[in-house]
Amino acid sequence: MTLLLPSSPLNVVDALRGDRAARPAADVTSASGLRAQLEDGIYEILGKSNPASPLIVRASSLRQPGTTSDPSFSAIGRIRGVLINQLLRLHCVGERVDHAFEEAVDAWRVEDDVNDLLKRLEQMDDDERARLATDVTAHSVTLLRSLGPLPSQWMPRSTVRATQRLAAGNVVLRDVIDLMMGMNNAHSACVVLLDVTTSPLDEAAERTMRYHALVETLRTSIVPLRTSAFSTATGDLWSTAVDHELLTRSCDEVLEVIDQLWKRQ
Amino acid sequence: MNTLLHRRHTAEHLNELIESAPQGLVALNDDHRRSLSARFRGVASSEHRRVDAWSVERAGQPSTPFRWGPNTARRTIGNAALRRVAAKPELLISDAVRFETDDLLLRAVSGSSRAGSLGYWLSCLSHPALGLVSAEAMNWATQLMEAAQGLILPWLIPASDAYYDVATARTTLRGRRDLIVERDQSRIIIRLRAGAPGKSAGPGLRSDMTIDALAHVDGIAPARFIGLWPEAGVLLSVDGTMSDLRAGARDLVRTAVVQRRTRLAIAA
Repeated sequence: MTLLLPSSPLNVVDALRGDRAARPAADVTSASGLRAQLEDGIYEILGKSNPASPLIVRASSLRQPGTTSDPSFSAIGRIRGVLINQLLRLHCVGERVDHAFEEAVDAWRVEDDVNDLLKRLEQMDDDERARLATDVTAHSVTLLRSLGPLPSQWMPRSTVRATQRLAAGNVVLRDVIDLMMGMNNAHSACVVLLDVTTSPLDEAAERTMRYHALVETLRTSIVPLRTSAFSTATGDLWSTAVDHELLTRSCDEVLEVIDQLWKRQ
Repeated sequence: MNTLLHRRHTAEHLNELIESAPQGLVALNDDHRRSLSARFRGVASSEHRRVDAWSVERAGQPSTPFRWGPNTARRTIGNAALRRVAAKPELLISDAVRFETDDLLLRAVSGSSRAGSLGYWLSCLSHPALGLVSAEAMNWATQLMEAAQGLILPWLIPASDAYYDVATARTTLRGRRDLIVERDQSRIIIRLRAGAPGKSAGPGLRSDMTIDALAHVDGIAPARFIGLWPEAGVLLSVDGTMSDLRAGARDLVRTAVVQRRTRLAIAA
């Protein structure tokens, strides 16, 4: 017999909140060191030459195609990812989601009505669309049940964008954090970052988590409390406290990507 | 000499920029207004034109026609929501955004909103689309609140942007402002921007500052105008000096000239 629990035993928000008493003081000194590490590393790669166009690093650049088979790379996978993100945004503002697929498509249309992926969605035949709708519904159930209600006091905000220019604009770090909670005005670290993916968590997800933490640190000059990734495919949550070692490691990974991009150019 | 200061966006740097703003008050008098009006009249226009900092940053090149969307609605709703929170601190941002959206919808339903207004557009949206607009507005309001809460001096959210009708020149200038910080007799204005600052960010800030001074009843310029780009973590500021105000006015007139040339080229 299969039993459906009214709510998931794993509550992502509780896991992210952690022990309030154990939160470290806000680290406001590491950002400049990390920036310097990146600037020095970029100078070692580019030297005095300027790329024809800025080298753009995104979270997706940190994935290593070939070493991992990520189903989210296909057009359908990307559409599913966008739709799940729309549902997360609706959940973030306390909207009740009854028809996951239709409501996610509605939200997507108002956000962006000219888009290759949206066109691809419109061109799908009924069977393909029904399969995608079922898939999105399944992922949304995992997401919404695991996430639980997001407390408004935590100031949840979704799809938070960040851009960092380095090496006089020759390198640009771009990032979009799916869900961010907590404010930077407190004396203790309390900002939590969550990446939501529709594929199973793997090494690339770890690199993405670190990248989110690094870009957020560079953007605000304050080290966030925690960076996490949640898979709607498996219901897995990976979460880690952000420390200097994690950020330095992400710097190395970013420099590796910049090196590859420069060699390709 | 024109000023343009660059800082990383932290509460300390923002407070430092506010505290170190020039002390003396600079005001635009009737001669300045007359001179500006004459320059705009020199750029003939067959229709009423509107010039703002965005058109200055685009060097007068036409941009896509305005249409409501989550990205254009977020500032109006987000600022209004934060004004509610400032008046009633126990209110949460998410609730304030919801109340603001409900008010706009109520106005539309009662027939008080004209076609094309934000309320009218919201009333045509589906439930999930409204949710997405709220999500964007919440992001905006949270970013602005994060900046405001770190301020040492008292602040307020202005009820509207600064508008100035240039006399007999069929021109309206619009200056955007999101946060006004009051310091003794002077004021410092903060404008929240999306994305990252481009090369023309300085002229954009100067134009906003000049319009704000023109819209002031006594022509008094803000001591400093600060542009805040949270996505890039950058603060840029220009001082309310006469040379900066002049540069701002020049950019506005130049923009009107380019707009006219572009219109003539299209007509030809």
